[in-house]
Amino acid sequence: MKIFITDGSPEAFFTAVFDAFAEKECIVTSDENVQLAFDSQVIRTVYDEEKCERVRKGIARYDKDAEDDVLFVLRSCDPLKEQIAFEYIKKLMKSKTAVKKMLSLPEVIEFNDILYKVTGEAHRLKGLLRFMESRDNVLYAPYSPDNDITDILMRHFASRLKNERFVIHDVKRKIAGMYNGHEWIMNYVGEAEVYLSEYERAFENLWKKYYLAVNIEERPHEKQMKRSMPVRYWKFLPEKNQKT
Amino acid sequence: MIDADKLEILTESAKYDVSCSSSGSRRTNKAGGLGNASVGGICHSFTPDGRCISLLKILMSNDCIYDCEYCPNRRSADVRRASLTPDEICELVINFYRRNYIEGLFLSSAVFGNPDKTMELMTETVSKLRRVYNFNGYIHMKGIPHADGALVMKAAKLADRMSYNVELPSEKSLKLLAPQKTKESLLLPMKSLNNAIEYDKQNNVRRGKVLPAGQTTQMIIGASPECDGQILKLTEALYRNMHLKRVYYSSYIPVVQSSKLPANGAGLLREHRLYQADWLIRFYGFDVNEICGEDENLSPDYDPKCAWALRNMHLFPVEINTAPLEMLLRVPGIGAKSAYRITEARKFSKLDFDNLAKMRIVLKRARHFITCKGKFCGTDSLAQVKTSLLISGSGEINEQLTMFSEPSTALSALTGEI
Repeated sequence: MKIFITDGSPEAFFTAVFDAFAEKECIVTSDENVQLAFDSQVIRTVYDEEKCERVRKGIARYDKDAEDDVLFVLRSCDPLKEQIAFEYIKKLMKSKTAVKKMLSLPEVIEFNDILYKVTGEAHRLKGLLRFMESRDNVLYAPYSPDNDITDILMRHFASRLKNERFVIHDVKRKIAGMYNGHEWIMNYVGEAEVYLSEYERAFENLWKKYYLAVNIEERPHEKQMKRSMPVRYWKFLPEKNQKT
Repeated sequence: MIDADKLEILTESAKYDVSCSSSGSRRTNKAGGLGNASVGGICHSFTPDGRCISLLKILMSNDCIYDCEYCPNRRSADVRRASLTPDEICELVINFYRRNYIEGLFLSSAVFGNPDKTMELMTETVSKLRRVYNFNGYIHMKGIPHADGALVMKAAKLADRMSYNVELPSEKSLKLLAPQKTKESLLLPMKSLNNAIEYDKQNNVRRGKVLPAGQTTQMIIGASPECDGQILKLTEALYRNMHLKRVYYSSYIPVVQSSKLPANGAGLLREHRLYQADWLIRFYGFDVNEICGEDENLSPDYDPKCAWALRNMHLFPVEINTAPLEMLLRVPGIGAKSAYRITEARKFSKLDFDNLAKMRIVLKRARHFITCKGKFCGTDSLAQVKTSLLISGSGEINEQLTMFSEPSTALSALTGEI
């Protein structure tokens, strides 16, 4: 069986889809540690502009939203993401019509599951991201999301905080989005050193105080709190890092 | 900078207001401005009571001239008093917003001096936020009863949402427990705001709409003797006549000692059942009379949809592959999202129980009320169905505060929950 290994980029993935399309059974992945079977033949896919474009055009012919959906799925932390996206594209091409709403097909169920996990986390973090103000008035937000969603957040905050300068730093993937008040870019950032502004601690303390005061103690429901705001996100929330 | 103790006092006074949603507005950022509104709403944190924090919910002052029985801030209560200036509030909102702590401001106030003075200072605050600080985030303002109509309209042009709390489910209870507020002082401004919103809608006003996120209200449950049927009737009338976006219920908590008030709280289950019924009215096409008689209470044992289905067993089972959407929505255990999934999926292929399970349609309750390709997997005996529904509903009380959170994913927008 052929195993197509990509470098993790969407372009290499679309190229691999082109090569793998005619195969009866094969695996598409970006996982270097994929389990190999006895008869497996490893193929390292490198980006090929023509193949990539043909796949993208082919997808767009039947469903103009499918490419965006695939790009979302490719940001997932799920090790099977490429395989699931590949199966979805195959189904789309064979059906010759949009399959997004064929909600009982297993390929569509698996694909949508990952899609909702990615878009769901992006939505959640639009709320849970926390900026701190540095001495030179740049807002800095470190975080560690499950999926690679930093550029989705950059788009959201660039329109919301359009006259600010800010950095959103995925400390797990060591990448950061940076906005200078006009445009934003993505960059490799290992570690960042931030000198806080004079008022930063004061506003953080006011926020912590607010958080404690707005809770209704007579109606405890910690389970619901944790369901809506899973513990793995607490590390970067000032209000969850205080002595009560 | 604002004093931390003042913030604490004015937050604790504001926290019993249930509304916290930041949805419904598409306000965009302007040149040189800060912030925008997200139509689905965004939750920024969650407190240990399971509620979300979306807006900075705060009173301008808790120094009240009114003496409402149930209110911890009433004139005769011995509590710490504090007030804020418009600039103190603006500074706090801007700094919290830039750090992404909040989605905007929920500004309420006790009535200090007189209603006009209160409304004027609140409006001045919001006006400053919008015009001086160029803030385009979400603003929810509480309306002050008896305040001048022109002031209220001025506020409505600046805020995204406003709310006049009806406080209690009947005029009689209002007279007894909140004698300084009258039915007219709450309903008339609500009505004129509704007229202004409808006017904008009919004339296709795009920019500078009055209250793009509409109006809401809130009432206390269990502080007065009204039964659920009466409460729901009122709710339905408010949705129909005032086009409210939400009616919030707040189960009575005895924080205040008074001979006019019950000694015990109303319990959270009752509040939960009312919210379930409210959902049925808004999203499931139910009429109040189908859910609850005027002088009846909702069943504590079954959720209102189950209770309705048990009274109407002759309408079931329905065939998943052919039943109209309106009927699917009436099947216990099938919610708006599941009904949407079923109607989409069955366009392409017929569904069986296996398909439904894979689509994560929960069949625990639904199986007694549906067939798939003619096959029935439930129980025929009414008694057994009842027991099975009781058991499957028994974990519910722990789950009830979910109604406080505002799930706002793309799908809930699709299904019309927002």
